[in-house]
Amino acid sequence: MARRRTRRGFIAKDRHGRPMVSAKDIKDRHEARLMKTPGVVGVGIGRKDGKECIRVYVENGSPKVLSALPRSLEDVPVEVVVSGSFRAR
Amino acid sequence: MRPDDAKRVCECEYLGVPLDGLKAGVHPNVVGIGVGHKVARGRATDDLALRFYVRQKMHALLVPPAQRIPDEVEGIRTDIVQSGEFSIWRPIPPIYQRKVRPAMGGLSIGHYSVTAGTLGCVVSDRGDRLILSNNHVLANENRGAEGDPILQPGRFDGGKPEKDTLARLETYVALDPEEANLVDCALARPYDPADVTEDVLGIGRLRGSREPELDERVRKSGRTTRLTGGTVVDAGATLRVGYATGTYLFRDQMIVVGERGAFSAGGDSGSAIVGADGKAVGLLFAGSPFFTVANKFVHVEKAFGVRVA
Repeated sequence: MARRRTRRGFIAKDRHGRPMVSAKDIKDRHEARLMKTPGVVGVGIGRKDGKECIRVYVENGSPKVLSALPRSLEDVPVEVVVSGSFRAR
Repeated sequence: MRPDDAKRVCECEYLGVPLDGLKAGVHPNVVGIGVGHKVARGRATDDLALRFYVRQKMHALLVPPAQRIPDEVEGIRTDIVQSGEFSIWRPIPPIYQRKVRPAMGGLSIGHYSVTAGTLGCVVSDRGDRLILSNNHVLANENRGAEGDPILQPGRFDGGKPEKDTLARLETYVALDPEEANLVDCALARPYDPADVTEDVLGIGRLRGSREPELDERVRKSGRTTRLTGGTVVDAGATLRVGYATGTYLFRDQMIVVGERGAFSAGGDSGSAIVGADGKAVGLLFAGSPFFTVANKFVHVEKAFGVRVA
């Protein structure tokens, strides 16, 4: 099993180079903190370029919100999505 | 004789407009008489002719001799024009917003004090057929009481409690303002089980349920935007959703983006989201200007202990 050193420690990868920890686990760990960031309305899991990513939904694309969000979390890319606020339909 | 005089004679003979010295009659096929240019070989000529507007134009051999409209009246040529029945222009609402029995998924429905939402589908509770939709459609955001009348169509679409009551509120999952919610759903029991059917308008019968998959194509049938298609872009979202009674936190939701324009709009709440294999994957309940949010259908089934019928 291949292992790769990252800044935050070790992430086990399977033989296709995909991380063994699922994006969902990583999302769950960081969810509470991300949801507290002003302007963030949601956190989810999506796919980008064939790889799983963490999607962060923001009310508007103001630079203040964007700069407060990380580019990636534990090697999983973070995609910031401007969604507006969610309302019951 | 001038065309106007000939017209007056014909109005009396075919439409029953009174005229001195003539017996009034009504022709079963003529709905109007006018004056226009005579059409010959598909082209208007300079001559004036009497135009007979009929419900349906028929071959000369099929018309009983007594009902035949002559080629000439008092020296004025005639034209037969198929116009159909004339009616005032009143917009006919789409079937999604009208009263339909048996009621099915995709139609307008709502608690008597809610504007309107969408009937998701019929579910089976140990053999009983119940109607599934959102809490905020059938139970008015926790404010409804068991037994409250459920109207089809909803109040906004003209539903009246005295004649359009389809069902009574059976139960709902209360929205929790403190903790994270999993579902926004409620069940209603039809007064007459024969008043509902398992079909979903434009989709057909559902073939069970399953978890949604990322990037899969889905469809929904709803009161406002009717039949639309979209793609699942998120299969496990946690988000805050605004309601009339406050903001609630939801976890493990699915998010859909529309294929052509919006996947949903206000009034589509409660629609079942269906995968390409005909299995229900979600229960639509919220949205932002760009996205649609739905409960995962497996959570809804587990919350009530029911199955797609």
